[in-house]
Amino acid sequence: MIALYREGTSPLHRAPAGAKVLVFMIVALAITLSAENPFTVPVAAALAIIGYLAAGLGLGTLLAQISVVRWVIVIMLVTQLIFLPPLAAATNTGRVLAVIVLAALITLTTRIPALLDATEHALGPLRRFGVDPARVGLLLGMTITTIPVIMGIATRIRDAQRARGVPVRPATFVVPLLILSLKHSDELADALAARGID
Amino acid sequence: MAQKNRFEIRDITRIAVFAAIIAVLGIPAAIPAFGGAVPITAQTLGVMLAGAVLGSWRGAAAVAVFEVLVFIGLPLLSGGRGGAGVFAGPTGGYLIGWILGAFVIGAIVRGNIRKPSWWRIALGSFVGGVLVVYAIGIPVLSLVTKLPLGQAALSNVVFLPGDIIKVIVTTLITLALYRAYPAAFGRKPAVTAKASVSAR
Amino acid sequence: MTSASEISFDGVSVDFGDRPALSDVSVTLTERRIGVIGSNGSGKSTFARMLNALVLPTTGQVRVHGLDPAGQAKQLRRRVGFIFSNPDAQIVMPTVAEDVAFSLRGRGLSRTEVAERVAATLEAYGLTAHSAAPAHGLSGGQKQLLALSTVLIGEPDLVVADEPTAMLDAANTRRIGNHLLDELTQQLVLVTHDLNLARRCDVVLRFEEGRLVERGEPDFVVDRYEREHA
Repeated sequence: MIALYREGTSPLHRAPAGAKVLVFMIVALAITLSAENPFTVPVAAALAIIGYLAAGLGLGTLLAQISVVRWVIVIMLVTQLIFLPPLAAATNTGRVLAVIVLAALITLTTRIPALLDATEHALGPLRRFGVDPARVGLLLGMTITTIPVIMGIATRIRDAQRARGVPVRPATFVVPLLILSLKHSDELADALAARGID
Repeated sequence: MAQKNRFEIRDITRIAVFAAIIAVLGIPAAIPAFGGAVPITAQTLGVMLAGAVLGSWRGAAAVAVFEVLVFIGLPLLSGGRGGAGVFAGPTGGYLIGWILGAFVIGAIVRGNIRKPSWWRIALGSFVGGVLVVYAIGIPVLSLVTKLPLGQAALSNVVFLPGDIIKVIVTTLITLALYRAYPAAFGRKPAVTAKASVSAR
Repeated sequence: MTSASEISFDGVSVDFGDRPALSDVSVTLTERRIGVIGSNGSGKSTFARMLNALVLPTTGQVRVHGLDPAGQAKQLRRRVGFIFSNPDAQIVMPTVAEDVAFSLRGRGLSRTEVAERVAATLEAYGLTAHSAAPAHGLSGGQKQLLALSTVLIGEPDLVVADEPTAMLDAANTRRIGNHLLDELTQQLVLVTHDLNLARRCDVVLRFEEGRLVERGEPDFVVDRYEREHA
C-alpha cells in the first residue's frame, strides 16, 4: 500500500504528530470562522506556501495536492457560481482549498505509525467512558494488515469468474467477497485467541 | 464508542475485515464491473453493507475505523484520496454521515431479528445510507462552502439516482449473502462461543 | 514426571451442534514430540484446538500442563503457542517486527525490552532483513517462520502446530519441519498429513471419525495407516 508520506528531515517532519494535528485544527477553525474577512484567503494561501516550503516539499508538491482535489474544487466552484456572485464563489472555494492543502501537509510529513500512536494517545481521556485505546490501536493495525489480504481475495474471485466465463457483476462479485472475507475474519479471531488476546 | 470495550475478539476481527472491505471496494481496479471511471464507486455500497450485515454498533465501528485510516493519510477513499484534508473539504460531512448512517441501517435491518427481510434492508439502506448521510452531509456542505442550505441540497440531487441503485444492490447482496452464508448474520458460531465464554 | 509436561484427556467428547467432532477420547501424553495423523474430519484438528482452549469439551476433562482449559484459558494460552496452517490468517499487525512484538502485549515489558526480544527472535529465524517490511509481502515459507517466531517469543512450554506445512512447497515443508522437530526444546504436538514428519515424532496418535483409534510407536502407527489408505 502506498502511504502519502514523503521522506524528510524538516522541522515539520520532526514535530510530534499530535501537536501538528492540534495546530492544524486551530488554523482550520480560524480560517472557517473568518470567512467574511477579505484577508483570509491571501493569508491562508501564504501560510500554505510557507508550510510546503518549510517542509522541504516545494511548490510542485503543493500543486500536485491541488490537482488531487481538482474535481472537488471544480464542482464546488461551478455550483457556487450558479447561486453566488463570482467574487464570493472564488473566495469560498479558495478558503476550502487552503484548508485542504494545509491538512495534506500533516499527512505528507508524518509517518503512519506516528499517527497511529498519536490516535491511541488521544483516546486516553476516553478510557473513563469505557474506550480501550490499546484495543482501538489493535483494530487500526489489524485493518491495515487485512487490506492486502482482502485485495488478494478480490483478485482471486475476479480471476475465477473470468476463467469460468461468467461476467463479473456487483452481486456475483461482492457476495463471494463477503463470504471469504468473513471466513478470514473468523480464522483471524482464532489466531488472536490463540495468541492470548481476548 | 463506549460500547467498544464490550466487543469480543470475533467482533473486533469482523470490524477490521469489514473496514478493509470498504477500502477495497474503493479501489476501482478491484471491481471492473463498476467501470472504474466513475468516482462514486462502490465505497458507499460497502458502508450500507457494513450496517446491514454487521448490525448497528459493529457496522458503525467498521466505517469509523476505515475513516480513521483515511484521516491519518492512507489513500483509501475512492479515487485514491486520503488524509485529513478530505474531512476539511466540502464533502467531510458525508463521511461523518456514513458512520451514523451505518448505525441506523443496522438498527433498522437487524433490530432484534436474525433473518433480514427485503423491505427492512431496502428501508434501512435508504433511511440510513441516503437520508441520514444527506442530513449531515448537506448542512456541512452549506457551512463549509457558505452556500445557502436549500441550494446546497439542490446541488446534491445529482447523486440521488446512484444512491437509489446502491440501495437496491445492497438489498440484493444482503439477501443473497443470507442464503449463501447465514453464519454471517449470527452473533457467533458454536465453537468459539464456548471458547470466548471461558476466556473471561 | 509431574504434571509439568503432561497432557491428559479423560473421556472427552465434543459436539458441534448435532455432529460429534470427538467421541470419548482418553489419553495421557508426556512425550516431547507428539505426532497426530488421520483423514480430513477425523477430529485431529479439534484435538489440537482443545490444547489451547479454542475448543472446549462438551463432556469429559482436559488437563494441559496442570491447567484446565475450561477455567484457565488465559493462563493456558500464555503457555501454549499455536501455529495454524494458513499463514495469512495468523498475521495481525502490519509489519514483521510489529507482528512479533504483538505477542508480548500485556506482559508488562518496557519498550526497550520488547525491542530487544523482537530483534533477537527475528535474528534466530533469519527475518532480520524483513523487520520493517509488510508482513503480507513475505513468501509462504517466511510467513510460517514469522508465525513460529511470534509463538516462540512468548516462551511457551508447549507448541501446537495444526498442519503447519499444508500450504507450503517441499523445500519450505522440510525447513519448517526441521525447525519444529529438531530445534525446539519444548513439547510439541504436530498435526500433519505429511507422514514423513509424523515418523520423526516420539509418539503418534491416529484419529478416525472423531475417535482416537491408535497411539504408539511412530513407524508402526504410520505404516498401518498407509496400508489401510493405499
